[in-house]
Amino acid sequence: MEAAVSASALRRTYERKRKDAVVALDDLTLSIARNEIHGLLGPNGAGKTTLVKILSTVLLPTAGTARVLGHDVVAETRTVRTLVGLVLGGDRGLYDRLSARRNLLFWGALYKLDARTVRRRADALLERVGLAERADDPVERFSRGMRQRLHLARGLLHEPQVLFLDEPTSGLDPVAAVAFRRLVLELRDEGRTFLLATHDMDEATALCDRVSLIDRGRLLLTDDTASIGRILGDRECVDFVHDDGTHAEALALLPEVTDVERLDDRWRVHTADRDGSRRVLAWLVERDVLTARHAQPTLEEVYLRTVGDRGMRV
Amino acid sequence: MTYLRVVWQAFRLQAELARRGPQHLLMLLVTPMQTASLLALTLHSHRPDALVNAVIAPGMIGLWVAALDYAGRVVPEDQWAGRFTPMVAAPVPLTVVVVGRVAAVVLVGAVAFAESWLTAAVGFGRVLTVAEPGVFAAAVLATCLAAVGTAMLLSGVIALSRARDVLQNSLSYPFYILGGVVFPITVLPAWVRPFSRVVFLSWSAQLLRDAAHGTVRHWAVSLAVILALGAAALAGGMWLTRRVVDGARRKGTVGFA
Ligand SMILES: Nc1ncnc2c1ncn2[C@@H]1O[C@H](COP(=O)(O)OP(=O)(O)OP(=O)(O)O)[C@@H](O)[C@H]1O
Ligand SMILES: [Mg+2]
Repeated sequence: MEAAVSASALRRTYERKRKDAVVALDDLTLSIARNEIHGLLGPNGAGKTTLVKILSTVLLPTAGTARVLGHDVVAETRTVRTLVGLVLGGDRGLYDRLSARRNLLFWGALYKLDARTVRRRADALLERVGLAERADDPVERFSRGMRQRLHLARGLLHEPQVLFLDEPTSGLDPVAAVAFRRLVLELRDEGRTFLLATHDMDEATALCDRVSLIDRGRLLLTDDTASIGRILGDRECVDFVHDDGTHAEALALLPEVTDVERLDDRWRVHTADRDGSRRVLAWLVERDVLTARHAQPTLEEVYLRTVGDRGMRV
Repeated sequence: MTYLRVVWQAFRLQAELARRGPQHLLMLLVTPMQTASLLALTLHSHRPDALVNAVIAPGMIGLWVAALDYAGRVVPEDQWAGRFTPMVAAPVPLTVVVVGRVAAVVLVGAVAFAESWLTAAVGFGRVLTVAEPGVFAAAVLATCLAAVGTAMLLSGVIALSRARDVLQNSLSYPFYILGGVVFPITVLPAWVRPFSRVVFLSWSAQLLRDAAHGTVRHWAVSLAVILALGAAALAGGMWLTRRVVDGARRKGTVGFA
């Protein structure tokens, strides 16, 4: 089956006055299957927003091609626009003086929906994102998180097959973030495809079937979220929390242990195989270290290792 | 048909924005003062056209201010507020939305005509009677339509320009003069007159004055010219607005982030 989204050698530069152009996307090739939730990760300035904008037709690529459900984003702009929904994070982008409902009614018209349909969908969506009770309040009285929910409702109004979400949960409270994740999963069950740009590793781990890591406009890796730890070597390990290094030193002497590593908040013991891990776990439990667990490198670790010691540089 | 619905929705949106943000209506406070000043200046001159002028000029100035100041702000405000990007992402062209919003803005300007008439009638006891009401009404209507087209053009020019404020400040008086708004263009130097013939206001002003005095000749021609100039401006404005969108997609300068 044809991919929901495919980008091929996509390139985008931004001209600057009296300086070299910025290369925001550098021959990026990426494919997202239908019904997939695909995470887009990368440091500030990596090119995530640029990619989302090109795929949703608000920005033209400098070179390369991109297709959404088989339609070229440059040549078939109109078709693509009816198929995709764009949700930009943040609290701007709405008519602040108007009510949430009025904002949606106006937006529905931009998607050529008739008044009855928009009204019905607006009510249902306001309910779904938890804004039903505030539907008639002007948006200027909304908190940041409430605005973001309204953005999401707006992006869903025309029932798009493919959704591009750019940091949709920055600023949502934990309860709202969980509700948001549940909503995304529900929408996926309805058959929709998602591209989710985020800095939240837990969110990406919880939601995404696959993730792509980009930096300086280049694709560093794409992999299944569940098994992404493999990228750091196909290794067995056991993690545990302990205040001092005595256990670590003792463990390092065991024959089944290949390495012991100090991570930020815990120790990591690398073992030769699954059996070795089992024995290390038993060894730790015997010594009352109940925090011990069989571990795989997390998405965050993969991210940190792959992007490297960039610090604050962009 | 869908686009007409979008225009209507955009019109309603703008009307609601105006209702909730009364600064949109501020200009209507100025109109009675303009009428009053013009009347006070000319009341004792015993010129027969004094009253006609005092009523018509503030009306047309109201339309122009609406077109220039308020309509010119429609696109830039969407850009500043981060609404431009999600709007471009929608399948309906931004141009269609802008037409609807600009039309609503200009109609607020048209209220200035009624206000001006009332100021003269109630404030000064000078009721403007119109010799040919049919032509007068048609002229007002055509003038409003042409003002919508012109507002669209101004909106496009302002959205494309880098010097918005300068433009908005400098595009008023020259057009009041060229448009024969405050005094008839017959008092202008001969070499200026051809320029004023492409400003719809000059045709409107003359037709409105003639209809009030009962000295109308060739009203159909005048109406046709007013509407044609308005239509040309509308087409130009829509083309420019499309260029604003194309430019943003190419340069990536106007965005949300
Ligand atoms: N309009 C623009 N003009 C010039 N350069 C731009 C423009 N928009 C983005 N860039 C540059 O392109 C690069 C990629 O930016 P982009 O916004 O796509 O990054 P991002 O991955 O979304 O970052 P963040 O995580 O901070 O949102 C950056 O170097 C940025 O400075
Ligand atoms: Mg971004």
